[in-house]
Amino acid sequence: MTDNTTLKDRFFKKYHGEEIQKCIQCGTCSGSCPFAPYMDFGPRQLFAMAREADMDEVLNSNTMWFCVSCYNCVVKCPRDISITDHMYSLKKMAAKESVKPPAMLDLYRSFNSPVEKYGRLTDAAAMAEFGLRHPVAALKNMPLGVKLVLKKRLEIKPRPLDNLSGFIKVMEKAEEMENQETNGKLANMESTKQ
Amino acid sequence: MIMRYGFFPGCSYKGAAGYKESTEAVCRELGIELAEIKDWNCCGATSYWSTQDLKSYVLPARTMALAEKQGFTEIANICNACYSTLRKALTRLDEDGELKEKVNLALHEEGLEFTGNLKIRHFMEILVNDFDADEIKKHVKTDLAEFVVAPYYGCQLNRPWGDIDDTINPVLMDRLIKALGAKPLTNYSAKTECCGAAHMVAHSDSCVVLNRRIVKDAVEKGADTICTLCPLCQFNVDASQAGNKSVNMPVIFFTQLMGLAFGLGKNDLMLNKLLTPFKMAV
Repeated sequence: MTDNTTLKDRFFKKYHGEEIQKCIQCGTCSGSCPFAPYMDFGPRQLFAMAREADMDEVLNSNTMWFCVSCYNCVVKCPRDISITDHMYSLKKMAAKESVKPPAMLDLYRSFNSPVEKYGRLTDAAAMAEFGLRHPVAALKNMPLGVKLVLKKRLEIKPRPLDNLSGFIKVMEKAEEMENQETNGKLANMESTKQ
Repeated sequence: MIMRYGFFPGCSYKGAAGYKESTEAVCRELGIELAEIKDWNCCGATSYWSTQDLKSYVLPARTMALAEKQGFTEIANICNACYSTLRKALTRLDEDGELKEKVNLALHEEGLEFTGNLKIRHFMEILVNDFDADEIKKHVKTDLAEFVVAPYYGCQLNRPWGDIDDTINPVLMDRLIKALGAKPLTNYSAKTECCGAAHMVAHSDSCVVLNRRIVKDAVEKGADTICTLCPLCQFNVDASQAGNKSVNMPVIFFTQLMGLAFGLGKNDLMLNKLLTPFKMAV
């Protein structure tokens, strides 16, 4: 795993996490979060730890993976901190540090892969892929799946875009720019450190 | 006069219980044209915001660029996640010129250009803000005066924005319900509680608890149905009732409620696609 100082730097600079310096630790975020009871640390505590550069604890926690993007904390935060966006950043950073993939990361990957392939999502495709990674959860969802099929609500066949090749070129270009930037920025950071 | 909007159906529109059928029927009734943006793609939603930097902007920007190219200035959404994703991307790209340039470099591969000269809207909000309630009343054929409707808004219509309505206690849909002659449940405190969204797949146990609160609040306060405006909200609040024999609270789309009020037929409403059965003695 990358060292804590570099990770904090990346969070603060690349992902604009420095905004959490404004946090007054009031805990309104944790108090308004529907998933706080399931989190290792509430958002308030997580931000306190990030400020102390305890990034390996932060990135290995389950906190950001329980963030469901309800924006309840964001509209209540007295310091106008975009908490949800920081949760997105921490998820992306944790995934890059190859923490043990939480179930939600597997779900996101199962969602993204049909999108990358066809440009659109079909529930069946995402569920099948998630089911391969989490067979127990998939089995639990089977009765519901059957009901949806009976009600003709489950789309099995993918619906690819008309201009799928154009779409794929767009996504490849985005990926290429992303990689260039990541490599460039990281190299830059390392060289200033030395 | 026919009102025309660019339409972004999103991936879950077709599979949602009668949403497509009822939306189309309501549009025919009111003379609204929802013109589908040709070759739209998935908005990426929470999944891309959580995993990708540039692509999470490229996906919504491509659909918006297509809309611009096809001559639309407003995009109507029927899903809260699509709505918030497009709005979020539009706002950010407007603030960050460098990011917008990068997004456009990618879009140029397909000959597309995103300028951001668009307004992102939700179809429910369009019905309330662009149409006179008295106009809608003229189409009402069924008396729903005794029908109590719990308006469930979910999260991503009013949050984080808080500009088209209140972030915690919105009332836009309440106004629509009133125009249809039904009774909105005005003290429905769970109206913007979270349904758990995609977490339902990986963490169903904790999501069922959240949905129980959404359903129970409606039951205890005497609602006949919960009314939603997002396919994922509808699905979670409806499906989470499976296995709980003591509750039976139907969860319908606002377009189905409109169809009921307008006296539209079975095939226009497709209430049989709901998981919790809908029965009404009218």
